[in-house]
Amino acid sequence: MSGRVLPFRHRPLSSEAGIEAARKVLGTPLGERIARTRVLHLEDPETLLALCGMLRERMGTAPASVLEEAEFLYRFIEAPKREIGLFDERDYFLGETALLAGTACRWLSRREEAWIWFDRSEAGFRHTMNAPGELSRLAYQRLAERLEERQLDLVIELLPSLIESFQKLGMPEDALKCRFLEGLAHIEKDEPTAAIAVFNQICGEAEERGFDRLLAESYINLIHAHGMLGEADAAIEASRRAIPILHGQDDRIGLAKVNWGLGILLRESGHLAQAIDSYRKAQEDFEILGMRADVAALNLVVADLLLEEGRSVEALREISEALPVISELNMAPEGMAALALVRESTRRQEINRQALRELHGYFQELQN
Amino acid sequence: MYPFLIAVEKPSSRRSDDIQSVFSLSLDVIHSALVSYYRLTEEEARGAEEDLYVWFQRLARRGGAGQMPAKLLRISLLSAACQYGRSFQLWKLGGEEAGDRELAALLAREPDEVAGDLDRRFDEERS
Repeated sequence: MSGRVLPFRHRPLSSEAGIEAARKVLGTPLGERIARTRVLHLEDPETLLALCGMLRERMGTAPASVLEEAEFLYRFIEAPKREIGLFDERDYFLGETALLAGTACRWLSRREEAWIWFDRSEAGFRHTMNAPGELSRLAYQRLAERLEERQLDLVIELLPSLIESFQKLGMPEDALKCRFLEGLAHIEKDEPTAAIAVFNQICGEAEERGFDRLLAESYINLIHAHGMLGEADAAIEASRRAIPILHGQDDRIGLAKVNWGLGILLRESGHLAQAIDSYRKAQEDFEILGMRADVAALNLVVADLLLEEGRSVEALREISEALPVISELNMAPEGMAALALVRESTRRQEINRQALRELHGYFQELQN
Repeated sequence: MYPFLIAVEKPSSRRSDDIQSVFSLSLDVIHSALVSYYRLTEEEARGAEEDLYVWFQRLARRGGAGQMPAKLLRISLLSAACQYGRSFQLWKLGGEEAGDRELAALLAREPDEVAGDLDRRFDEERS
């Protein structure tokens, strides 16, 4: 007969002291933290819990910083093996920090790293008391990553099971969030009308239940879907509803996405100069957020518009800025072929417009 | 195509008095499991309950537990209590077999399974 001997009496910080300690940790340079572990209460579960909460909140404003912090915490907890908290808390914090790192990687388009972090997260969460809840959150991130990799059929196949899990676990907001993937799959399949129907349903339920974050994100997707159809009034109405909520939440990714969506609408409506301005605003926000892949995708979109306006020199500059970033990403053969054509035409100073469109079309789908 | 996903997960909004209530209502069942089933002394059981309380307050603030209904939180709590009781008793036995057959049979069972029984008992007592 055997059994793991659990650690007993422990005097943790209060939750308020944990929040204070977490702020101090984040204010301390990474390189100085290990030496100050005790002073910073870095091994205290209250500190770690508060840190995870703060990093979750930061995902929409600073994914690169979330990745750096989450990776530091994971490594800190993992090796040398530290006794953290009571019962399953060490496993939970390993799972949670890895999930944060994986999610941040997904936002930063670092796909291979995202999958590795998701595997690490599963390894931690599997040993927790509330494994179904935590593993369901992880499953959502994995499906979102699959959507971004355009594995649409698999996403559609697995979604109902995940929604059911969240419903059984009494997590209605997470269940509703899953429907985003359904709406986005419609957009990926070039079915904006079906997407609009899904996002309108999400808006209705989110408004009724007071899920503001979901409501704002649904409006953003409505801007995009209506923009694709050139439905100006509906897109502008959706942006009018989204912006105050996003400002209230300091959701800078969301605000950047609004500008991107308005850019689509303006382009579809033939207002090319204004469309470029709107894309530029989105690009500036993504630059600040460290979302280089999105910046590069917008370089290509803007280049295409500049060519349409006959501004080929400026278009070349946009493409030249984007190519090194795109080269860093793992692309499928069709993406690589388009990239090679654009590279060659750029070298010859005669841009192959079709190749550019294929590349940015492919690249944006890869991003999203 | 420009579809976008959600960047931020909703933080836990559960109130601390809800947590207190779930814990308080479960305490009798936990205490009797620790003392009667796992044969901890009264003092050992009180120490276990203090640890469980601290742990449970944090469990409820985790990412995946913040929105969970009370029943599922209670099952997690009972499961933790059984794991605690089993581990403690095994530690006290120091690798020896339990002389008491009932205790030996209980220690051979999965703590989650015992927690399921306790949860049913909890529901029956309140129905």
